[in-house]
Amino acid sequence: MDALLFGLLNGLIYGLLIFMVSAGLTLIFGMMGVLNFAHASFYMLGAYFAYTLQGLLGFGPAVVAATLLAGGVGAVVERFFLRRVHHHGHAHELLLTFGLSFIVAEAIKLLFGNFPVDYHVPAQLDGPAFTIGSQQYPLYRLLMGGVALVMFAALYLLLTRTRVGIIVRSAIYKPRMVEALGHNVQLVFMGVFGVGAALAGLAGAIAGAFYTTSPNMALEIGVMVFVVVVVGGLGSLGGAMLASLLIGLMTSLAVGIDRSLADLFALVGAGAWAEGVGGLLTLKLSSLSATLPFALMLLVLLVRPQGLLGDKT
Amino acid sequence: MRTSLTLLLGGLALLAALPALLSAGLLNAAVQMLIAALFASAYSLLAGRAGMLSFGHAAYFGVGAFATVHGMNAINGTGLLPTPLMPLVGAAAGLVLGIVAGWFATQRSGTAFAMITLAIAELLHALAPQLKGLFGGESGISSMRMPAWGLNFGSTTQVYYLTLAWVLLSLALLHFHTRTPAGRLTLGLRENSHRLRFLGYDVHRLGVSAFAISGLFSGVAGALQVVANESANYVVFDAGVSAGVVLNSYIGGVSVFLGPALGAALMSFFGYAVSDATQAWLLYQGVLFVLVMMFMPQGLVGLGGAAARGVSKLGAARAVPLLLLWLVAVLLLAAGTVFLVELLQRLCSQDYRALARAAATWPPVTMFGRSWTATGLATWAWPVVLLASGGALLAFARRALK
Repeated sequence: MDALLFGLLNGLIYGLLIFMVSAGLTLIFGMMGVLNFAHASFYMLGAYFAYTLQGLLGFGPAVVAATLLAGGVGAVVERFFLRRVHHHGHAHELLLTFGLSFIVAEAIKLLFGNFPVDYHVPAQLDGPAFTIGSQQYPLYRLLMGGVALVMFAALYLLLTRTRVGIIVRSAIYKPRMVEALGHNVQLVFMGVFGVGAALAGLAGAIAGAFYTTSPNMALEIGVMVFVVVVVGGLGSLGGAMLASLLIGLMTSLAVGIDRSLADLFALVGAGAWAEGVGGLLTLKLSSLSATLPFALMLLVLLVRPQGLLGDKT
Repeated sequence: MRTSLTLLLGGLALLAALPALLSAGLLNAAVQMLIAALFASAYSLLAGRAGMLSFGHAAYFGVGAFATVHGMNAINGTGLLPTPLMPLVGAAAGLVLGIVAGWFATQRSGTAFAMITLAIAELLHALAPQLKGLFGGESGISSMRMPAWGLNFGSTTQVYYLTLAWVLLSLALLHFHTRTPAGRLTLGLRENSHRLRFLGYDVHRLGVSAFAISGLFSGVAGALQVVANESANYVVFDAGVSAGVVLNSYIGGVSVFLGPALGAALMSFFGYAVSDATQAWLLYQGVLFVLVMMFMPQGLVGLGGAAARGVSKLGAARAVPLLLLWLVAVLLLAAGTVFLVELLQRLCSQDYRALARAAATWPPVTMFGRSWTATGLATWAWPVVLLASGGALLAFARRALK
């Protein structure tokens, strides 16, 4: 029971974390039609910026500075890279961001080494939040979930309740019309790109301390985030939220299940045969948890190609 | 037409003569170049001609490789499929996975397609280490090249000729595919799939067929690598393999048939040549890719066309010196960048930081065969001067060529 509750909580918070990264991605995609392959690189940059700065500034200010720096890098990428190749089409933009993500990963390997760095949760936050049964729940996980929720609320209010939000939302649907009304759409694009990158950077700065900060973290979360946007529906913020939570819960609950397909066959009396066959049949679900999101994605593509909440095909 | 035919025959003659010209180590590198070239060409059928960006082509390469290594162990080089025909096994595996994965991936187009291919490759990459029986776990699976047809495949030369034969055959088939109606329709898929659908073609089936053919030849490339290395490990599913083929193809230029092959051969040659001298090769490759994407969307093969245009516009007497100047400027910029990257890499390396902490000062670093003081003026003036002069020359040459 305890294990199930903890698994649910862990899954929820991991899902919120994925959402923090995918929110910016899906926002940028909805607006500019560009899938930013380098988005997860901003997540990684956030973690490495915070790691580098925490010795100078302390943990809290380092996280804030890392967020701002990641946002700044994002704005530079939009202004000086993406805008230059915009007229070549979306495939070209996708390839360019792919190249940039490659450069970021290689540069980090070069400067910090191809291994995890010692970036960890500060001592004052490294304690239990509450205890259920005999297990303690870490405070920092709750903090991560809280930051993601606050960010979601702020983003939602900004988009629906402010004047800036109106311009951004209308620039998503009719950029030329908004431009004709005298708004600087290019600046809006740069701003959205920067904010999306900053959100990813914030997620990285916070999550990097809890999970590992290594040159592979961008690819790991990046693939997960791409799965989220395909499952949720491209450009749909609500779909991204739903898919993030689904994938977070699924992966963290699967880790706790030590069953394999052979156990299923045992129910109908073919257990020994399945054990004999081996391979996929005897793999425990817990060791497959990393592959489950991909299986979910293929399933969604099979039954609902536009994604759970997407309307575009 | 005459000149391109002459160039082609000359290239073939050179490839056939390579074993006589190169040492065994370099010949091994040439085998890897050929395999990379075939892989890039197979990839570009999908990415360049069909306009579907795949970021997970390592899956088809890897499946071809593992199918071949199992085939070599199972058949033992005798019977129906002696060693020289082993790549057929890889081709079949690549084709089957290509059909299955392509059926899923081509449900969507554009961006979503790219993400699905990435996810399929990551699925295999996550699954492979768990399935020890099939993929051999950390140590991988090894095999032996059995003698066949009077050849024992013990020397690199024989492996080279075997690889060359398969690569040339595959390239010829890929080129033949561009001439068939199906190949033409693939091009139409990229240009205007709505119109194809309107004309009554089954767009999904066309997409799957392009995907499957690309998977087939990727599988052949994977198989050739197993034949050359006599082993396969699950790292062939690594995202780096998928990234490499994207980078190589676009650096070469996907709009020309041989562009990706030339790009891949060039990149893997440089990768081999500088792998001892630098740890930053992948970074340089990434930087080159981004530069090509930003300033030469046609790829490196587009450079020849741009130079020819300059000559025809300004006349050879004026254009040739300017083009040479442009080349010098690019070389200066490259030298400056390499200097800076290598310097930073050495200053940031673990060993150096440990040394600096122990000595409480900044010890000098060794680079390009001499020692540089970390805080010396000359150390930092070199890259600045190289980059500044290269930038100025480039700006001048570009303006004059316009």
